[in-house]
Amino acid sequence: MTSPVTSRAAALTVAPIDFVDRTLPNGLRVLLVEDHRVPSVSVNVGYRVGGKDDPAGRSGFAHLFEHLMFKGTANTATETIDRLTEDVGGYNNAFTTEDITNYYDVVPAHFCETILWAEADRLAGLLVNEANFHTERDVVIGEYDQRILAEPYGMLDELVNREAYTVHPYRLGVIGDPENLRAATLADVMHFHDTYYRPDNAVLVVVGDIDLDATNAWIDRYFGAIALPPGAVPRVGIVEPPQTTERTYTYRAANVPLPALEYAYHIPAATDPDAPALDVLETILGMGRSSRLYRSLVYGKQLASMAYANADLRQQPGLFGLRIVVSAGKELADARAALDVELARLSDEPVGEDELVRVKTQIASAVIRSRQTYNGMALALVRAAVERDDPGAVNADLDRYAAVTAADLQRVARAYLRDENRTVIEYLPA
Amino acid sequence: MTAVRTTPPPPGPVRRAELPVAAERRLANGLRVIAFEQRTGPKARGTPLIAAQLLSTLGAANEDASRAGVAALCAALLTQGTQTHDATAFAQAVDSLGARIDASAGADATVVSVSATTPAFAAAFALMRDVVGAPAFAASEFERLRTKAIGDLALTYSNPSALARLVTNRVAFGSAPYGHPISGTRTTLAALTRDDIVAYAARTLRPERAILVIGGDITTADAFALAEATFGGWQPAAPSANGVHPDAPPAPRARVVVVDKPDAGRTALVAGRIAIARTDPSFISATVATAVLSGYSGRLNREIRVKRGLSYGAGAQLIARREPGVFIASTLIDHTKVDEATTVTLDVLQQLATTAPDDAEMERRKATLIGGFYRGIETTDGIVGTLGEYALYGVPLGDLQDYVPQIEATSGEAVRAATAASFAPDPFVVLVGNASVFIEAIRSAHADVTVIPFAELDLARPELR
Repeated sequence: MTSPVTSRAAALTVAPIDFVDRTLPNGLRVLLVEDHRVPSVSVNVGYRVGGKDDPAGRSGFAHLFEHLMFKGTANTATETIDRLTEDVGGYNNAFTTEDITNYYDVVPAHFCETILWAEADRLAGLLVNEANFHTERDVVIGEYDQRILAEPYGMLDELVNREAYTVHPYRLGVIGDPENLRAATLADVMHFHDTYYRPDNAVLVVVGDIDLDATNAWIDRYFGAIALPPGAVPRVGIVEPPQTTERTYTYRAANVPLPALEYAYHIPAATDPDAPALDVLETILGMGRSSRLYRSLVYGKQLASMAYANADLRQQPGLFGLRIVVSAGKELADARAALDVELARLSDEPVGEDELVRVKTQIASAVIRSRQTYNGMALALVRAAVERDDPGAVNADLDRYAAVTAADLQRVARAYLRDENRTVIEYLPA
Repeated sequence: MTAVRTTPPPPGPVRRAELPVAAERRLANGLRVIAFEQRTGPKARGTPLIAAQLLSTLGAANEDASRAGVAALCAALLTQGTQTHDATAFAQAVDSLGARIDASAGADATVVSVSATTPAFAAAFALMRDVVGAPAFAASEFERLRTKAIGDLALTYSNPSALARLVTNRVAFGSAPYGHPISGTRTTLAALTRDDIVAYAARTLRPERAILVIGGDITTADAFALAEATFGGWQPAAPSANGVHPDAPPAPRARVVVVDKPDAGRTALVAGRIAIARTDPSFISATVATAVLSGYSGRLNREIRVKRGLSYGAGAQLIARREPGVFIASTLIDHTKVDEATTVTLDVLQQLATTAPDDAEMERRKATLIGGFYRGIETTDGIVGTLGEYALYGVPLGDLQDYVPQIEATSGEAVRAATAASFAPDPFVVLVGNASVFIEAIRSAHADVTVIPFAELDLARPELR
């Protein structure tokens, strides 16, 4: 019997995401992908506004907005987006990062025009009143209680941002401060919408079972009718000064089951030529059971129950995070010493060829998996467009990772993973 | 410029998916093999992925409760080395292929799954065969994972929602098979030996009791040939032994069980009861009923979050299994709002048991199931998982084509009847939170209330302490 799989080409070939890119006269950037595998469509509207753009004293506003955008418009009742998605067999949601507020809808393909109309409608005008503003503000504060206070390690992300940045607004995180939110007024809300929710500050991505001509006609009709307001969108120009000495912050809380530690290093923006090498370093340290942190701290020495690496590449300079949760009965100092050994290795020794090939295969496979769905493709396009101002990056990324060398990795580790460039968070049981 | 419309444009004509058709064969060693090819074509971006899943048809429900955790620990150990690759070498082999090989124990099955890009799949599939047919169960790995499992319990117990689910199973099933915690307890995990793991694997991982599903970027013929080449030589290690003889679950009883955990940030609320098996004739009606209750626009979330702002979210879940599993409604709430949320939750169930939903609500809630079904099969893994579940529970594979018409044919009266029969009568309530804040109000509203301080909670015991 012949082996059935050897007849297939051995090399991995990945079809590019074949997108059409145009910008409407009002500044809205539109990216479309036609694909007929399943009778479904993903519509994403990504706004170039996130936690870093929160007004002074209004931390959490971009995220509050993500909620308010579901409260209706002059033409629609509250939760219309939910009815037009969930109630027809789709779903919708939104998320806010430091840089993006992204609204996404996945619906049966025959509802494509309906959902495009609804997204244009809530971009054009939002209907917020005192009642729904107060209700949704309470919901957001409840989300803070649930995600930040109730979760055993919920405060850690907040602390990392707050302590690693001294002046850049990334320090205020995304979910915000309940006291700031309680102080917000309806007038603040309307001003925020007028400032950031405008066509030249958005990217519309449609992926799925669509006809390009019909979809373009709908987009012209509904989004093209939105006027471009005068003036420019404000941008964060604050630059975080280089960190020159290590800082340490110790946090204690009753609901922390086991001690945790995070090292947060300043790294450049997502567009920086060093970004792919930082992603590869993240993979070497933290992806899968062959990763260095897992093999050393979790598996080998059993000092940590979990160990993560995260190259948090953002539109503006971000953070490279290393996080460990100490194993029951083990000492934080011992786990930290083992982590330090792995960090030193990255700077002291070049990564071997086998390991480099392996991590690149891991990254390529993960990218392929993440783009199986229409929404996965759409999200990749939104992020590339907002964080890097380059949607075509989605088709160049695999080549960028392939080009990273062992010398690049050693240079990048030495450049960024330095003690004086980091903030240490000790997260301990009370 | 033309005027922009102020009402949503109506939908266009419905589009239907052309779904893969599964084929099946049985190998000489008894292994049931199910294969499918993913559809691609012009303007249908092919994904170069193949996935497979092997399901044993015995799960944690079949473990001896005094050895609770053996199925989960066995599954965790399967991917920690084989007779030819120790744990480190195995992890490197999998990652070098960019593959994923996972094993997990559910109540009714141990599931081993693999996915890889097309050129890497045959090698990944061979590793998966060794996971199933030649696991190492190294003593050092056993000790390491047992220590980790005991450590993980602390994290689970610190999460009110996760703890409430474990308590719920005991309240619903007592000493019956789905009652004990699959993750084990400190006591049961400490008592386990490597021999327990070896014996459990020998009893459950056998070709004549297993199902293999394989598909994606591969023809059905190639998939069958690869299954034969890879698993045709798999023979069980020892004669098959019988399983344990389980207790029957207790009769449903309206009661409130409170686990007092003063350090909990919020209170986890679960209301529910034993409902139906996966093969129950009312499964489709009960599924639509659960959809009426669950989701953002479902009745529980509307009443609890949208109308009253009591919580960030509330939903329902029907866990239909080989034997009747639980239906649960759940939410996470402020300690001061526990009484109100409990009353609202129980009222929502009674209301649906009394009055059939109207056609408009039925259409919307059915649409959620149909859309969810199509999205579930958008990925290779998703199709494999769906077919695996059908095969495990003896559901016809043709349900991939028939599920949507079955949902469409369900009436509002069938939904009311399923709720009245399986969800609403005598539900229990489990509350895990800071009892001092709400216990007085709960005691005045409910006759049968049990309070268990967290320090006294013992999930190894059917009575919980």
